[in-house]
Amino acid sequence: MGRFLERLLQLIPVLLGVSLIVFLMLALTPGDPVEIMIGDQNMTAEQEALLRSDLGLDRPLPERFLNFLGNAVQGDFGTSYFHRRPVSEVISERLPATIELSLVAMLIALATAIPLGVAAAIHKNTIIDRIATVGSLFGVSLPGFWFGILLLMLFAVHLRLLPVSGRIGFESEVPSVTGFLLIDTLLQGRFSAFLDALKHILLPAITLGLPMTAILTRVTRTAMLEVMRQDYVAFAEAKGISRRRILFRHALKNALIPTVSVAAIETGSLLGGNMIVETVFGWPGLGRLVVESIFVRNYPLVQAAVLLYAVTYVLMNFVADILYTVLNPRVKL
Amino acid sequence: MGNFKNLLFASALAVILPLQAVDASEIRVGFTADALTLDPANHRNRETETIIRNLYDGILTRDADMKIVPEIAESFTQTSPTTFEFVIRKGIKFHDGSDLTAEDVKFTLDRLTVEGAMGDGQTSPRKSLLGPLKSTAVEGNKVIVTLSEPWPILPAMLPVQEVVSKAFVEKVGTAGLATQVNGNGPFKLTEWRKGDSIIMERFDGYYGGATDIPPVGKACVDRVIFKVIPETASRVAALLSGDVDIINELPPFSIAQVKSNPNTEVMTVNGTRSFFIALNNKGKVFGDIKVRQAVAYALDKKLIIDRILGGNAVSIDGILSPAAFGASKLPAHDYDPQKAKALLAEAGYPDGIDVVIDTEGAYKDTVQAIASVLAKSGIRAKVEVSESAILKAKWDPKDENPKGDMYFTSWGNGSLDPYDIFLPTHRSGDRGNSAHYANPELDKLLDQASSELDTAKRAGLYNKAEAIINADLPYVYLWVPQDIYGVSKRVKGWKPSADSRINLHDACVE
Amino acid sequence: MSAVSDPATASPAASLFRRNLATFAENRLAVASAAILLGFVVMAVFAPWIAPQDPNETDLFRRLQPPAWMPGGEWAYLLGCDALGRDIFSRIIYGARISIFIGTVVVAVATVIGILAGLAAGYLRGWVDTLISRLIDILLGFPYLIFAIGLMAMMGPGLVNIILALVYKEWVIPARVVRGETLAVRELEYVEAARALGASRFHIMIREIMPNVLSAVLVVATIRMADVIILEASLSFLGLGVQPPTASWGSMVADGRAFILEAWWVSTFPGLAILTLVLVINVASQGLRDAFDPRFHE
Repeated sequence: MGRFLERLLQLIPVLLGVSLIVFLMLALTPGDPVEIMIGDQNMTAEQEALLRSDLGLDRPLPERFLNFLGNAVQGDFGTSYFHRRPVSEVISERLPATIELSLVAMLIALATAIPLGVAAAIHKNTIIDRIATVGSLFGVSLPGFWFGILLLMLFAVHLRLLPVSGRIGFESEVPSVTGFLLIDTLLQGRFSAFLDALKHILLPAITLGLPMTAILTRVTRTAMLEVMRQDYVAFAEAKGISRRRILFRHALKNALIPTVSVAAIETGSLLGGNMIVETVFGWPGLGRLVVESIFVRNYPLVQAAVLLYAVTYVLMNFVADILYTVLNPRVKL
Repeated sequence: MGNFKNLLFASALAVILPLQAVDASEIRVGFTADALTLDPANHRNRETETIIRNLYDGILTRDADMKIVPEIAESFTQTSPTTFEFVIRKGIKFHDGSDLTAEDVKFTLDRLTVEGAMGDGQTSPRKSLLGPLKSTAVEGNKVIVTLSEPWPILPAMLPVQEVVSKAFVEKVGTAGLATQVNGNGPFKLTEWRKGDSIIMERFDGYYGGATDIPPVGKACVDRVIFKVIPETASRVAALLSGDVDIINELPPFSIAQVKSNPNTEVMTVNGTRSFFIALNNKGKVFGDIKVRQAVAYALDKKLIIDRILGGNAVSIDGILSPAAFGASKLPAHDYDPQKAKALLAEAGYPDGIDVVIDTEGAYKDTVQAIASVLAKSGIRAKVEVSESAILKAKWDPKDENPKGDMYFTSWGNGSLDPYDIFLPTHRSGDRGNSAHYANPELDKLLDQASSELDTAKRAGLYNKAEAIINADLPYVYLWVPQDIYGVSKRVKGWKPSADSRINLHDACVE
Repeated sequence: MSAVSDPATASPAASLFRRNLATFAENRLAVASAAILLGFVVMAVFAPWIAPQDPNETDLFRRLQPPAWMPGGEWAYLLGCDALGRDIFSRIIYGARISIFIGTVVVAVATVIGILAGLAAGYLRGWVDTLISRLIDILLGFPYLIFAIGLMAMMGPGLVNIILALVYKEWVIPARVVRGETLAVRELEYVEAARALGASRFHIMIREIMPNVLSAVLVVATIRMADVIILEASLSFLGLGVQPPTASWGSMVADGRAFILEAWWVSTFPGLAILTLVLVINVASQGLRDAFDPRFHE
């Protein structure tokens, strides 16, 4: 328990540092951010003054940082001058789509990588192993934006099997409960709407999860080989326990420990990949919103989103660390 | 082999993917962007306007020929150079069933024009669209609008202002109006799936719309959906596969494909945005009229319109669109590289000039094509792509010592009235005069035209003004592009509109 | 930590290097990849001599011209033309310059910074270590692409800005490796001996410790090249990369997206180029790692 508290305390400086960097990204931007943000919007002098005092540009940096931090903790990231609504509101509307996409991508990655990695390790140097190794090599080398375009062309445009854009068809009006369409449709027992949502999420999730799938396959395979070499496996084998039982009861359990912690670290690729995948597939999530916001210089929104992504990532790493400790009997809590 | 694999995939997926049934009374629009807000007074965004216009009606509107006609107003008259009177139609209902009155119209105009009227000290970003509107007053079912100076184009600016319900806005506030709709248009809001789609259904209490634009009555279809598909190729694919019925911004290179598809067709309409290249008239090089003329002769406009815009643009030789009020036939500067070179030599540049041409990312293809054409006459233009805000600062008309050379840019003219485009881009120091052009004679003509109430005289003044700029060439005038739409053949009764609105009131499906 | 054998004598290290090189040479796939990689480098360096056309020369009459083997194609324009009639093959050749240049510069600069920071943190310990380790922890808190996008959004596009945005984050990776290795090495006998002989801290770090952590960090550097190239391509794809008309593979894919229904070749070939380059770097660096870093042996 002491270690847990210690790790929890270590989070504080990291989160502070992350916030400081996000703050500096905007604060140290060359040029007058207000000038740039106003752009072609028609603003009166009063509105411009309001924006200036909103951003507190006239005050010293440390004070501005403290304000930024204080507001951020309360979920206040200023106003999205493009939408003319609070940034937090605009972001939270788009968040469920992004979370759902990321979770499904992760699910696909785990569901592909673990069986494939295990099979490759058990059947080392066979064709299965080769497929897994070469496949994961391609997986880390494919640029996601290009792979997404190819999938879209093949399945949505040429074969017309899957929709080209969006999250769900129009036949399926789904009253929001959790915001996750896959869950909401099931909760309401509407199977065809569920399938419709699934059809929409399939290609983006595969594209997004690809690098993670590749890396996890590799990690699982290596970990599994490592465990299979351990003494206790040989010992169990000598005791006459069936090989199958040894592999799946004992070896797999231990081999999954590194897989799980690498999975958490690799959420970084999901979070970053969001922006690209959502742009390619017209997915109505936060990633696309951020990319659109960059080009209209909607700085407060970009800043808030970067902070949100980073904090999520820090927390994911923390959870991975704790999980690792809990799962691994060799590391004392 | 490839076919077999496709087949395998197809059959595997077909099991889990049932075909979609198409609802007979629904129109889906594949649209480039989501609405930023649903509050008619709180944006300056064309796409947002297009979506909102199906939920709300305006005091006035335009017919297919861009003529201004009454909509929520029953009629209107100009009672003096500075006052207009609008008679508000009776029997119009908001979506919640309440009656629309002259008070709502006054409230709408005040909300747009009074400082701080949006609440929390906010002023509507559309305020400047209503220029010198000073005050409004209600007399029975009439709304009297008073201007601080003569402004003949007030009616032309009103079709882009939608009427809101006073009671509803007071209830939900400006924050609430961003996402909730109690409109008076032919459709009411069903659901806004942000970033994905806006779903609307027919409003059965609709008063019928402008009497000058038949058919008058309720909307034809049960539901309309604006589906946000920002990716160009995806939007076209969605049309071709029948997922959507209308798409906007069909790229010129996809026209052939949409035409060859048996279920879809292409519709075009002349737009209202004029494109031109601002030349830095205060600069050393372009301060010389010979150099400006050289650019005009060096630019093979026809080639670019044909090759890059797929022929979907009208060439212009002055600032005005041929469809605009006061436009006239002007002498053209036809492509003539020899003449361009000679003019450059006369100006003291026998070896040509090296300049920079600025543009936004969206037009980089076009501008690169322009640069490669200009190079043939010795005008070596380096293309620099920047963001609009940065370019606006670099080409700020108030800048005493502008640094730019050439700037590929444009100016929208939704009202098709010269007041809205000629003045800002050509009057000395005005807000869109990126060329830093200053001609007192032209300023005088433009100011005279702004307050001239006699239509024929006004047109004559603009004719004269256009002749001046055609000779002086502060800008190189390029073209007015057409808006291109891809439309499913099952859609009947809908035509694209020059102001780029997509009004679905009259549209039916088979 | 078996890499550290007997540091007092130099010749065993040299023979180890030769042995490792021999191991690498036996890995045919890795050698083939290294050869292709070399081909890319040659292509980038000698682009003006290899490219059949000027990569920025537009020709509106060749707009979206198909590849040579398709109807309407020409052999002088092997892979067809883009929307401005520019030769895609020549642009891919020139695009290799951007990818390889950015990949190399970012990783090289980051590695130098990383080595210095890692040595300082691992050897000097104390507040230096605390400071550097904290900074590393904080930067690791950002998903890589998000960090780069965030910075590019604020700084604006451009070659120098991409390099800066990536280096700011990239140095953390070698720094962590070097710090770990340094911590392991610093207590070893020969370092103690050098300390006892009165060598300066700087001398010990650079002369005694650095050579022993170098192989690990160089293996990491080659692997990182692949990632950095994909990151650059991703930024360019989003329009946050180098400025047009400079050819970059990522922006070429992005430019072709709108034409994918009519002219698939505009996006497809540059994407294929990215895939190939990244793939051969990955395979070659894996071979290098297998040969040079015994810890990764199975």
